[in-house]
Parts: sequence; C-alpha cells; structure tokens
Amino acid sequence: MKSEVLYPGAFPMVRVDLAAGENIKAESGAMVACSPTIDIESKMEGGFLGALSRKFLTGEKFFFQTLRASRGPGEALLAPTVPGEIVILELDGVNEYMVQKDGFLAGADTIVIESKMQGLSRGLLGGEGFFILKISGKGTLVLNSFGAIHKIELKPDQEYIVDNSHLVAWSSTTSYNIEKATSGWVASFTSGEGFVCRFRGPGLVYIQSRNPGSFGAWIRQFIPVSE
Amino acid sequence: MSPNALCFGDEFSAAGAPCLVQVEEHGLTVTFASDAADGQSESVPFSSLTVSAGGLDHDQLVVKWAGQKGERTLYLKNPDIIRAFRQAAPDQLSHSFEQAAERVRQVRHRGQLVWGLVGGVFLATVLGLWFQSDLLVEIAVSRIPVEWEQKLGESAYRDFLSHQDVMKEGPAVAALREMTQRMTAQIPDSPYKFEVTVVKSDVVNAFALPGGYVVVFTGLMKKAESGEEVAGVLSHELNHVLQRHGLERIVKSLGIMTVAAIVLGNQQGLVGMMKQLGVELFTLKFGREQETEADLSGLQLLQRAKIDPSGMITFFERLSEKDQGRMGWLSTHPMSAARADRLKAELAALPKKSPEPFTFDWKQVQAGL
Repeated sequence: MKSEVLYPGAFPMVRVDLAAGENIKAESGAMVACSPTIDIESKMEGGFLGALSRKFLTGEKFFFQTLRASRGPGEALLAPTVPGEIVILELDGVNEYMVQKDGFLAGADTIVIESKMQGLSRGLLGGEGFFILKISGKGTLVLNSFGAIHKIELKPDQEYIVDNSHLVAWSSTTSYNIEKATSGWVASFTSGEGFVCRFRGPGLVYIQSRNPGSFGAWIRQFIPVSE
Repeated sequence: MSPNALCFGDEFSAAGAPCLVQVEEHGLTVTFASDAADGQSESVPFSSLTVSAGGLDHDQLVVKWAGQKGERTLYLKNPDIIRAFRQAAPDQLSHSFEQAAERVRQVRHRGQLVWGLVGGVFLATVLGLWFQSDLLVEIAVSRIPVEWEQKLGESAYRDFLSHQDVMKEGPAVAALREMTQRMTAQIPDSPYKFEVTVVKSDVVNAFALPGGYVVVFTGLMKKAESGEEVAGVLSHELNHVLQRHGLERIVKSLGIMTVAAIVLGNQQGLVGMMKQLGVELFTLKFGREQETEADLSGLQLLQRAKIDPSGMITFFERLSEKDQGRMGWLSTHPMSAARADRLKAELAALPKKSPEPFTFDWKQVQAGL
C-alpha cells in the first residue's frame, strides 16, 4: 500500500494505491473516487458496541468504510470534509497516537482504533471532548486537520503550550495539563485564549492552524437568520 | 525483531526510535531497529538507571540513563517487560519502582475519585431535588411575602363564600369569634389577621386558606359535643395557616421549576403561580408531616389559650369511629390510631394548666344552628 497527498494546501486529497487483496479503512464518506477493482464495504470497527460507543462517545461515524482491492490492484482518492491539510504517518507498532475525533481520515487495515475517555479536566477544557481515538498498531495512518498541520517535536521534558481546540494528534509518550492561559482568570478569557494545554515531551504533537469552533462562531454572524 | 519500547535521545527523531529491550542479569540490553541506528545494541547496567512513571496517563515506565552519546530516555509500556525488569532489578532501584507504581496508582485513583465525585454530586443533586425538595420549598415559601399570600387566599375565599350560605350573626358566629380571639391572643406577632366564617352546610368539615381565611361548616359544629372540640379543629386549621402549609403545597405542586424561580427571585414565577391558584387552593391536600405539625402546634396553642386540649383528641377519635366514608374533614384529614396516640403522648408531656371554660353554652350554640 502506497499513499500520496495530492494538491497539498487547503484542499488536498490523498491517493492510496492498493495491491490486489489489500484494504484500508477510512472515515465514512471519505472516498472521492476509486478504480473499478475496488469494493467499498462498511464495517463497524471494534464490533457493534465499539462502533456504538464511538458514535455516541466520540461523535465519530458509526461505520468506517473499508476499501478493498478485491478484483485486482487499484487506487482510491480520499478527502476530508473540511478544508485543511492531510498528513501521512507511519506507525511502527510501538508508537501510539491520540487523535481528536475529527482528525482521522484513513488508515491501513493493520492499525487499531479505540475510543478512549479522557480525564475530567482534559475532557472538559481541552477542547477535544471527553472521548478521543487511540490509534496504535503498525501501518499507515492518514490524519486531516482544519487549516494547516504543524508538527511540534518535543525532546524529553521539553514543554510547549498549545491553545485548546488546536490539537490534532499527539503521541502517548507526551503528557499534558490544562491550565489558564494567563495567571489571572479574567485575563485568561479576555486574552481570548481561555485554557491552554501545556505539553511535556518526549514525543510529537500535531496541531492545526485553525480552530473549528472559533471559525464556526465567526461564520455564524454572516448566516442570514431565517424568519 | 519486533520493538517493544521507544528510545529518545539527541540523535533520534522526536517521535522516538523503536527498540527492543531485553532484561538481563545485570542490566538492560537495548537493540535499535535496523533502520533507526543500524541495528546497534547497547547494554546498560542497572546501577546507572533511574526509573519513573510517565506518558499521557502516567501509565508508562520511563527509564533514563546517561549514555555515551548523551542522555537516553526509554518509554516502556509492555507489562511483561516491566514485570521482568522489576523482578531483576537490584534493591537500589526497587524504591524508585515503588514510587513509580505509587504515582500510577495515584493518578488512576485521582481519576476515579474525580469521576466518582462528579457522579456523586450529580446523583446527590438529582436525588436531593427528587426526595429532599422540602428545604427548597421552605426557602421558596419564605420568600413569598405575606401580602401576596393574603391576596391570593382572599380572592379564593371571597369566591368560595359567594356561592355559599354564610351565617352572618348568631350564637355560633359569636362562639367561633370567642375561640379565635382566645387563640390569636396567644400569637400576638403573627402577621395574619384571621377571618373565620361559618357556612351553613351539613358537611362535617373546616378548612383554612393561605393568608388566614378559615371556613367552618355548621355540620362540623353539629357533630361536636363541646366548644373545646371545635376549638381543637380550629386550632389545627390556624396552625396550617401559621406554618404556611398551603403555600408549601402550592409551591410543591407547581413543581421544582417554580421553586427555583422563586428562590432566584423571579417574579414571573410568582405571577404564573398566582394564576394557577384558583384551581389549586381547593384541591390542596396537606402532607402527613404537615398534618402532624399542625396537630402538635395546634395542641400547644390550645394549651396556651387555656382551652382544654383533650377536646381536640376526643373529637378526632369520635370522627374516626363513625361514618368514616362520609366525613368531609376526615377525607382530607385521615385519622389514625397512631395520630391520636401521638397527640395523647404530647398532651401528657405538656405542663398541666387548668383550662378556662368558654363564656357560651355549647348546647345553646348548637340549638341556634
């Protein structure tokens, strides 16, 4: 399986080449186009209960789609719903990533996707919600973001501060605490940041250059109010 | 080889180099995956290691040492390798292991505690609102001014009396006036001005509306064998008013939202409540606790007013024996042996006072009905 990001920038697609018999899972609705040799199946990852919990807990789709090259080799084009970059990661079987619920686009069949509940403060204030995806295993993982994706590399004990809602994925060797953006409560909110996540390495943190919630709030003012 | 750990160091990528950790007799052997560092391996003696807990949920074992090429940090999460490491590790590391394990437990425990607390508070709130709304109701009731209460009681009272045959003058009215005066004289700082009306009806009943409006039916006076017995019922009703039981019931039946609105000072809640009152006032049924409260404080009031309190008990008892189904007052005031017993016990506990008889002759009063 080979994958390549086409048209990098705001409106990218990912092309996945599949050998005969190979398959990938993708977020439902992600397929844009594919070779006639590829069958699209829907699959409840993690069984019915797993899918149910993913649907209700993370807000992710109940079904993943599986693209299977069952009648010979072929390619598939996949794209996310929102404008934003796509990044391809190779999981080596040891690395684990936490992915915020909208960040997953596609992955090799060999990767394992689980729903995971965050702690109270992270869930409430981190901007990612109480449930996130924990992705492990070995193989290709394709993530998407809202805006551009930026990778932050952290050495052991190196710290970095990320505004909440800007997180896409982070390795499980990092840890983070939620804290106020400034030392005072009022200033924390008047500064427009509210809560931030203080990350501590080692590991990688992928962030998105736009905050979907803030964008939604901004665009709401232009939507005509229907009578 | 399949790697079981991630190694971090200056020459590795920030994502960490996958490596295979093996526990040996004197230390750890770390073999790097071939593409990361040419399959090289490194042996580290236990003596140069420090261990702690780390990672996103503090569930990984972090092993650090100073290697030849700088500081190395190893993240282990495979439980088998951690167990093997812990068993093989010498005594000087066991303390750090204990600390790391303690840290993991703490984090896990704190997580459970926080969730437990949140769940507990949520549950307590729901249960509290469900079962223990009395406190909220009391707070809400205490925020309603007496003038409001009088206004709403009065409108319902006038409305009721306009359809009834009211006895304006006569020995019965005078007798009730005397009873009321003797009792209200004992409650000088009460904000209520009691108004007691006799209504011609065979219904054996009496009721009090919020604000101090009391109606006694002639049926009840015919059934009573002495003025003291009627005074007992009257005292009970006055105490429903004094303790604002009617308002409590209204607020309760209007629901917790009204209560919250009143507690939070929302006048709209009161206005909405007023509108519903006409319907609510006459369908009010007091709770068992309210009845007990009115009984006991009624008894004490009789005692203070030097009216023989045993009349209250005998009347209750007599009513409960006869004609149980037909008795209006009993249908809203269910009589039980326990209730009479409690009153008797209470009466026995009160200091004895020699009662002063009424100025009227009860037989004459009854004859004038």
